[in-house]
Amino acid sequence: MTESRKTRAPRALLRAVIAGLAGVFVLLGGAGAAMAQPSDSNVEGKNFVIGTDTTFAPFEFRANGELVGIDMDLLQAIAKDQGFSVDIKSLGFSAALAALSSNQVDGVIAGMSITDDRKAIYDFSEPYFESGVQMAIAKTDDSIKGYEDLAGKTVVAKTGSEGETYAKSIAAKYGFTVKSLDQSATMAESVKSGSAVAVFDDYPVLAYGVSQNNGLTTVTEKVPGGSYGFAVNKGQNPALLAAFNDGLAKLKANGEYDKILDKYLADPASAVPSNFWERLGNSIPALMNGLGHTILVTAISFAVAMVLGLLAGFMKLSNNIVVRGISTTFVNIFRGTPLLLWAFLFYFGVPQLTGLPMSIWVAGVLTLSLNSGAYVAEIVRGAIQSVDPGQLEASRSLGLGYGKSMQKVVVPQAFKMMTPSLINQLIIMLKDSSLLLAIGFTELLYQGQQIYAANFRITETLLIVGVIYFVAIMALTKLANYVDRRFNK
Amino acid sequence: MSASPVETKKPAKITVKGLRKSFGTNEVLKGIDVEISEGEVVCVIGPSGSGKSTLLRCLNKLEEISAGHVVVDGFDVTDPKVDINEVRRHVGMVFQHFNLFPHMSVAENIMLAPVELKKATKAEAREQALTLLERVGLKEKADARPASLSGGQKQRVAIARALAMNPGIMLFDEATSALDPEMVGEVLQVIRDLAASGMTMVLVTHEMGFAKEIGDRVIFMDGGVVCESGPPAELFGNPQQERTQEFLSKVL
Ligand SMILES: Nc1ncnc2c1ncn2[C@@H]1O[C@H](COP(=O)(O)OP(=O)(O)OP(=O)(O)O)[C@@H](O)[C@H]1O
Ligand SMILES: [Mg+2]
Repeated sequence: MTESRKTRAPRALLRAVIAGLAGVFVLLGGAGAAMAQPSDSNVEGKNFVIGTDTTFAPFEFRANGELVGIDMDLLQAIAKDQGFSVDIKSLGFSAALAALSSNQVDGVIAGMSITDDRKAIYDFSEPYFESGVQMAIAKTDDSIKGYEDLAGKTVVAKTGSEGETYAKSIAAKYGFTVKSLDQSATMAESVKSGSAVAVFDDYPVLAYGVSQNNGLTTVTEKVPGGSYGFAVNKGQNPALLAAFNDGLAKLKANGEYDKILDKYLADPASAVPSNFWERLGNSIPALMNGLGHTILVTAISFAVAMVLGLLAGFMKLSNNIVVRGISTTFVNIFRGTPLLLWAFLFYFGVPQLTGLPMSIWVAGVLTLSLNSGAYVAEIVRGAIQSVDPGQLEASRSLGLGYGKSMQKVVVPQAFKMMTPSLINQLIIMLKDSSLLLAIGFTELLYQGQQIYAANFRITETLLIVGVIYFVAIMALTKLANYVDRRFNK
Repeated sequence: MSASPVETKKPAKITVKGLRKSFGTNEVLKGIDVEISEGEVVCVIGPSGSGKSTLLRCLNKLEEISAGHVVVDGFDVTDPKVDINEVRRHVGMVFQHFNLFPHMSVAENIMLAPVELKKATKAEAREQALTLLERVGLKEKADARPASLSGGQKQRVAIARALAMNPGIMLFDEATSALDPEMVGEVLQVIRDLAASGMTMVLVTHEMGFAKEIGDRVIFMDGGVVCESGPPAELFGNPQQERTQEFLSKVL
C-alpha cells in the first residue's frame, strides 16, 4: 500500500466499517457469493489513488468538467463491482508514471501499452483493450495515400507511445522523419498547420479525434499492436491488481465492457456536446476553478516568497561572511535552475527520498516561493542599498540601534522603492504558476489543456485561457498599484 | 554676539588621545590629541581631505577607530563594553546634506528618537518637537514634509532633530556648505544661539569669518594631524605654522 493511503487512515477505517456493515446485510440476504472471493477482501472499502493521462481521448478526457473515457468508465465500473473507491489524479502520461514510481499514486490507467520495458518496473493487469496504430493526415491533404508518399516529410507521434515506436520502425524504409510531441491535440494541430504531414497514433484515439472534427482523416489500415493494461508499482498492491482483473472479467462476462467501449468508439460524438459554444459554456466552471487555484497558489507562494526574500535580502547585507554566504547560495541556486525542475523534484523526488507523501499544493508552493524568494531577495537587497547611507547614519547618530534604524528609517524607504519590482515579481509568479500543470496541478492552463484535449479546439481554447490570464493580471496590477498608492504616499 | 573668552579649566567634555584612523592602507588620521572642555566652541578648519570630517565622525563612532582613545562625556567610546547608542544620545550631529527622513513629517523627524527610545510619550515628544521648532523659527512647518522645505529650513529642522535628546554636545559637519548663500545666515543664527546657550560644540566649517566670530578655539588640520590650534584672534591674526599661513592666505 502506498504512503498516500496512510494519510487517509480515518477515512479508510470509516469505509471499512460501512463496507463491513454492508457485507453483513448482503450475507443476511443470502447473496454473498461475490463477497467470498479472497481477492475482494483485501480491497473492499479501501480508497486508491489512481494516476492517469490528461489528454488521451477517448480513454480519458474531460467533458463538462468531468473526467470521462473508456479508462475512467472501466475503472469506476470495476471499483464499484469490487467495492473499493478511487481518487483519480489526472497528471499526464509521463507524470503519472513518475508518480507511480514515487508511490504518489497506487496505480496508473492511461491507455498504456504493456511492453517488456514497462513490465520490468511495473506489474500489469490482464489486457483490457487491444489497440493498434494507424496513420492520419489532414482532411484537406490529397497528396498522401500511404506510407510511400511520406518520403522527405515529417510526421508526428506521441512521446513514448506505440505509434512512435511503429513510425520509427518504418521511418528509414519510407524516408520520413519522426517528431515526438506530448499531446494528441497538439499533434493534430501540427498536422493541420502543416508543420507535419501525418500523425501516427493508437486507432481509437484517431477515430475519436476525427469524430470531433479535428480536421484529420485516417488513411491506412490499423497495424495490430499493443494491448493496454492497468499498472501498479512492481511487487506492490497485488490485491488491487487482482481485484482489477477479477472485475474486468466480470464486466466482460456481463456485457458492460462492450457497452462502455461502444459508448466511446461506436458513436463517440454522442459522448460529448457537439456545439463548440455549448462546450465552451460547459468548460467555464472548470476554467474558473483553475483560475481560483492559480490565484490561490500564487497568493500563498508570494506571501512565503516575501518572508524568504526579506530574510535572504537582509542576510545578504550582513557583515558575517557565513550568513552572507548562505543567502548568496540560496539566491544563486534558485536563480540558476529552472522552476520546472524544482516542481518535479519536490513532487516526485522528495517522496522517493524521504518515503513521505508530498501534497501537490506543498510542492507547488515550495517551487514557486523558493524561486521567487531568490528574486525578492535581490530586490530587497538592491532597494536597501539604494537608500542613501546618510539616512542610516542620521538615525544611528540619534542613538537608535541598527535594528530600529533599519525598521523605522531604511526599510520604509526601501519598500517604497521596491514595490514596483515586487508587483512585477508577483505577476511573473502568477504566470509561472502555469508551469505547475506539468505535475498535474489543476491550475488555469491545465484546465484549458483538459478542455482542448477533448474538443480539439486548441486555438480557441488557448485564446480564452489567454484572455482570462490577461484580465486577471490587469486586475491584479490595478489592485497592487492602488495598494501601493495608499501605503506609499 | 561675540565669542566668550576661554574659560580656564572647566572639566573636559571630550578627550581625544593618540587617535588614528585608516581606511584600508590609507591612514587618514595620524595621531590626534585634543581636549575640549564643557561649553567650549571649537571650530575645525583645514584643506579638503585633511581628515576634518573623519575626526568629527570618530567622536560619536560613526567611524570605527583604528587606535587611540576618544572619551566623550566620561564614556570611552573605544571601549567595546560601552553602549555606543547611549553615548550618541548625548551627542547631537548635524550633517552637510541634512539627512532628514523623507518619509516622515518635520515633527515626526524630531519625535523619532525620543519616542523610539522611550524617553517620552508621543504627546510629550510632539510638545517638545514644537518647542524645538519654535526655537529654530519653524513651528508652522511641523506637519510639512521635508521635501517641501528650502535648504536653510531643512538644516534648521536637522538641528532641532539633533537637539531632541537634549545632548550636551553638538557636532556640525559643514552645516552650511550645501546651502544657497542667502540661506546661510538663518542657519548660522541658530548655531550662534546654541553657542550662547552654553552648548559644547565642535564645528567643521569653511566659513572663516564665522569661525573667527563664534569659536573659542580654532583647530587647523592638515594631512591627518592637528597642525596648529589656538584662539581665533591668534590663529587668524598671527599664525605660527607655515602651512597655516599658506592655507589662510588662500581662503581669507
Ligand atoms: N569611507 C571612506 N573610505 C575610504 N576613504 C575615506 C572614507 N572617508 C574618507 N576617506 C578619505 O579620508 C580622507 C579624509 O577625508 P575627510 O572626509 O575626513 O576629509 P575632510 O577634511 O572632511 O575633507 P572635506 O573638506 O573635503 O570634507 C580623504 O582622503 C578621503 O578620501
Ligand atoms: Mg568633510
